[in-house]
Amino acid sequence: MELTITKNATCTFCGCVCDDIELHSDAERIVETKRACILGESWFRNHTAERLYPDALIDGKPATVDEAVEAAAEYLYNAHLPLVYGLSNVTCETQREAVALTEMIGGVVDSHTSL
Amino acid sequence: MGGKVTCTLGEVKNRADLIVYWGGNPAECHPRHFTKYTLTQKGKFIPKGRKDRTMILVDIRETPSAKAADIFLQVRPNKDFEMLSILRALIKGQRVHAERVAETGLTLEQLTDFAERMKKARFGVLFFGMGLSMTRGKHMNSAALLSLAAELNAFTKFVAMPMRGHGNVTGGDVIMRWTTGYPFGVNLSRGYPRFNPGEFSTVDLLLRGDNDAALILGADPGATMPQPAIDHLARIPTIVLDPKVTHTSRLSRVHITTAATGISAPGTVYRMDEIPLPLRPPLKSPYPTDEEVVRRIYKAVAKKPMWLPPEEPAAKG
Ligand code: SF4
Repeated sequence: MELTITKNATCTFCGCVCDDIELHSDAERIVETKRACILGESWFRNHTAERLYPDALIDGKPATVDEAVEAAAEYLYNAHLPLVYGLSNVTCETQREAVALTEMIGGVVDSHTSL
Repeated sequence: MGGKVTCTLGEVKNRADLIVYWGGNPAECHPRHFTKYTLTQKGKFIPKGRKDRTMILVDIRETPSAKAADIFLQVRPNKDFEMLSILRALIKGQRVHAERVAETGLTLEQLTDFAERMKKARFGVLFFGMGLSMTRGKHMNSAALLSLAAELNAFTKFVAMPMRGHGNVTGGDVIMRWTTGYPFGVNLSRGYPRFNPGEFSTVDLLLRGDNDAALILGADPGATMPQPAIDHLARIPTIVLDPKVTHTSRLSRVHITTAATGISAPGTVYRMDEIPLPLRPPLKSPYPTDEEVVRRIYKAVAKKPMWLPPEEPAAKG
């Protein structure tokens, strides 16, 4: 199968955020990385586009994303002081949405920085 | 970080002739830091690359990064603050007590040489890692190091930069600063932002049992936090967004699988020097992105009645 080559890809594994990586991938996985270090290489190879996990889980049982979104909204809405935590391995666009959500549900938003 | 004397990694590459790493092990934790930004690259004002630069490593043990260093200074554990204070005195030509110097595990000659090298550098940089900021003294250590960098500017150009870890933690600080005015641990429960580390930081909140629901994204606290904090996450309804079913997912009520950032999810992330970089994901995920899921949760909550109590009618008369 023809491999797709992605030039100047960005590695997010460590704070160096190297943006000069070349990736060779098929439809499901990255098969070759150039210029990434060992940590970056295993990061890229570790994630695939396969469907390895259920779309969502509610109480450990497979559910649809719609159901899970509704359940999440219900829990967060009913909480007095919900916590929104993490924000490390997500994009800035996601972080912005997370702050907006926290404001609406009246919670605390926090990241690894506080540890 | 307000008032921090810092720069970009591009400036380090093009200008820095003295590079100090303090309490960090880039050889193992940031493997391309030396080769891409700091040590080995040739820069505009560093024509000979590595030969034009001096690297000093300060740490409590000899890590693999010591091999790359010209000078390795082994400070006694938990004496970073003392060592920084002595250096701040030495650069100003003040006398220091012999027993204070002895406490650090280093000699006066070593510390004087270090201070002189910093003063004589054309462009110096202090990179500091968790070995400084997460050990005894914590943010006081970081503050002492940032003060040292600021004070060195009376003699030469000197900057400081934290060696940030995983992924987009830097972006988290930047985005929270931009949207709320504070970098982390922001409490919005009164409808306006309040910041008080130790009170509104996650571990403290969870240990006190203050939260009655949690949304975890881009992190796996179930693998990293103190056990009592994890126990509280298991007690309350926890929701996890993650590309994998994580430790935290296993103790959560709701898990939603999302596309992996930079692999199959596009967007922007910040480098440790606060430079935003676009992602170029090579794969297409069968799962939605975190951004999309958070937005969908937002919309689902927005459909419900407002949580604020109705306004009290104004007193007549
Ligand atoms: S390639 Fe290596 S050094 Fe660069 S961001 Fe990825 S993990 Fe960090």
